Amino acid sequence: MIQKILIANRGEIALRIVRACRELGIKTLAVYSEADVQSLHVQLADEAICIGGPRGADSYLRSDRIIAAAEIADVDAIHPGYGFLSENAKFAEQCESCNIKFIGPKSGVIAKMGDKAIAKDTVSSAGVPIVPGSDGPVSSENEAVKLARKIGYPVIIKAVAGGGGRGMRIAHNDMSFAKEFHVARNEAQSAFGNGDVYIEKYIEKPRHIEFQVLADSHGKIIHLGERDCSVQRRHQKLIEEAPSPFLTPELREKMGTAAVQAAEAAGYENAGTIEFLVDAKGDFYFIEMNTRIQVEHPVTEEVTGIDLIKQQIQIANGEHLKLDQSDITFTKHAIECRINAEDPARNFIPSPGTIGLYYAPGGHGVRVDSHVYSGYQIPPYYDSMIGKLICYGSTRKIALERAYRALSEYLIRGIKTTIPLHRAIMSDPVFMAGQATTAYMEDFMNRTPSDLFS
Amino acid sequence: MKRAELNEFAVEEEGFKLKIRRGPNGVAGMPVRGSNPPFVVAAEPAASAAPAAPTPKVVAAPAGEVEEAGVIYVKSPMVGTFYRSPSPDSPPFAEGGTKVTESSVVCIIEAMKIMNEIQAEVKGTILEVLVENGEPVEYGQKLFKVKAS
Repeated sequence: MIQKILIANRGEIALRIVRACRELGIKTLAVYSEADVQSLHVQLADEAICIGGPRGADSYLRSDRIIAAAEIADVDAIHPGYGFLSENAKFAEQCESCNIKFIGPKSGVIAKMGDKAIAKDTVSSAGVPIVPGSDGPVSSENEAVKLARKIGYPVIIKAVAGGGGRGMRIAHNDMSFAKEFHVARNEAQSAFGNGDVYIEKYIEKPRHIEFQVLADSHGKIIHLGERDCSVQRRHQKLIEEAPSPFLTPELREKMGTAAVQAAEAAGYENAGTIEFLVDAKGDFYFIEMNTRIQVEHPVTEEVTGIDLIKQQIQIANGEHLKLDQSDITFTKHAIECRINAEDPARNFIPSPGTIGLYYAPGGHGVRVDSHVYSGYQIPPYYDSMIGKLICYGSTRKIALERAYRALSEYLIRGIKTTIPLHRAIMSDPVFMAGQATTAYMEDFMNRTPSDLFS
Repeated sequence: MKRAELNEFAVEEEGFKLKIRRGPNGVAGMPVRGSNPPFVVAAEPAASAAPAAPTPKVVAAPAGEVEEAGVIYVKSPMVGTFYRSPSPDSPPFAEGGTKVTESSVVCIIEAMKIMNEIQAEVKGTILEVLVENGEPVEYGQKLFKVKAS
């Protein structure tokens, strides 16, 4: 029976986990870096232990110190959040050998699905469509070029050890292929310590549509529908919504089934997400599986009414999933805007500093997941996301208008944020028409005068 | 303290020391940890601390702490359990009066069944041992008060 959970993360997700634990009557232990002493979740957790210096590598990535903290505080389970050690198979394994429940899948599953090439193999043998490409890393430029011609240009060259949109290059013909191939290998080597790359067909202007799955430890797996995350800048998601304005009920059914098949093939347990690319014809292709809770999980929570963090904890507790696939319906439309401390008018340069005045929007259909407050000093050591604004309503139109209204109320003084950018997107005709693909942001930035989002 | 218009308040008894000074903004500074604090108003959130106070805790170099000249601290470089001696029957590595150099082993911090010998990394004389034997410690926690030489 899980009675105390160590939260191996920071910022808004750590706060989210503290809240879920509170409601379940579970004690919380926050581990934090010296830069996060004043963090909201550290203050709200039942206990807190400092685990190192400001840099992630000196604190939130120090699995030894996190496990030491877990032992001295006698915790039953660790929630890794997202990022940091959440998809680190070795950390999950250390938890397993120390008899501390890692809230997520087994370490072997994390390792398997964390290797992009193995993940593709695993799901395709279960009949899930994958993007045509090399079977694993390509060993030479020669082999790569032959394969690229076979698949058909354009092709994308990806780092085997990459993720989060990093380590990817596109080639449109034989000539550019040679150059992009070498650049991709060098970038992969320096960014991930592994220069292996694989090749895939590049699907032009796809939509990024992912499916949330929940699997208990007794073999039951269901999906909770999709999230459309096509609005991205440099492969970083900015806006997510559910349901996708593109999916028909038939396509949703097909893709949901594929998502569950993929999770089954992986031997999955706990919460996870299957990511697909969908082209204009409605053909969909598996690209990767995220073996953790995701940033945009609140979108699914608001349209289904299900608390995903609580589900994660209950699954980790060995409980049977009480939800059936037939229980999952979308009763609303929800849209999430990631609020970053960046200046969109100056190429999104990070804007750390002290928040002078903070006033979050509210009212019917508005949810704010944020760890910041008036007087909070944003540490410069971590990512720039300072909060998420999730707005929902009975129709997409209401959700968008609500988001526009809430963004207009949202006050964050003292730093630059992407609030004005989101507001401009909410009132952009292409976005409002539900026509955004992954090519949307570049097009939007090109045709929109920057004073509209500064 | 505010009612009595005190700015500084000190109490010293057997095994217990408390010093509070009002900072410039009128807020009481943090109590200096004695060798045997009888109640928990932790300067840093400790592993077994009482439920979190509703206001943010202030940590490290708080306004009220009196820093004497030439005093430095040996701080914990890791998370674990603090032990003063190499084994239960041995004498402690260091106590008040012990002279240390940078490489002197002053304590053991145990984590995941591994006993780590912790070096002083400062040169001087131990003034005070700030942690009880067998107590959990966090990263950066002050272990020894040292008079630098």
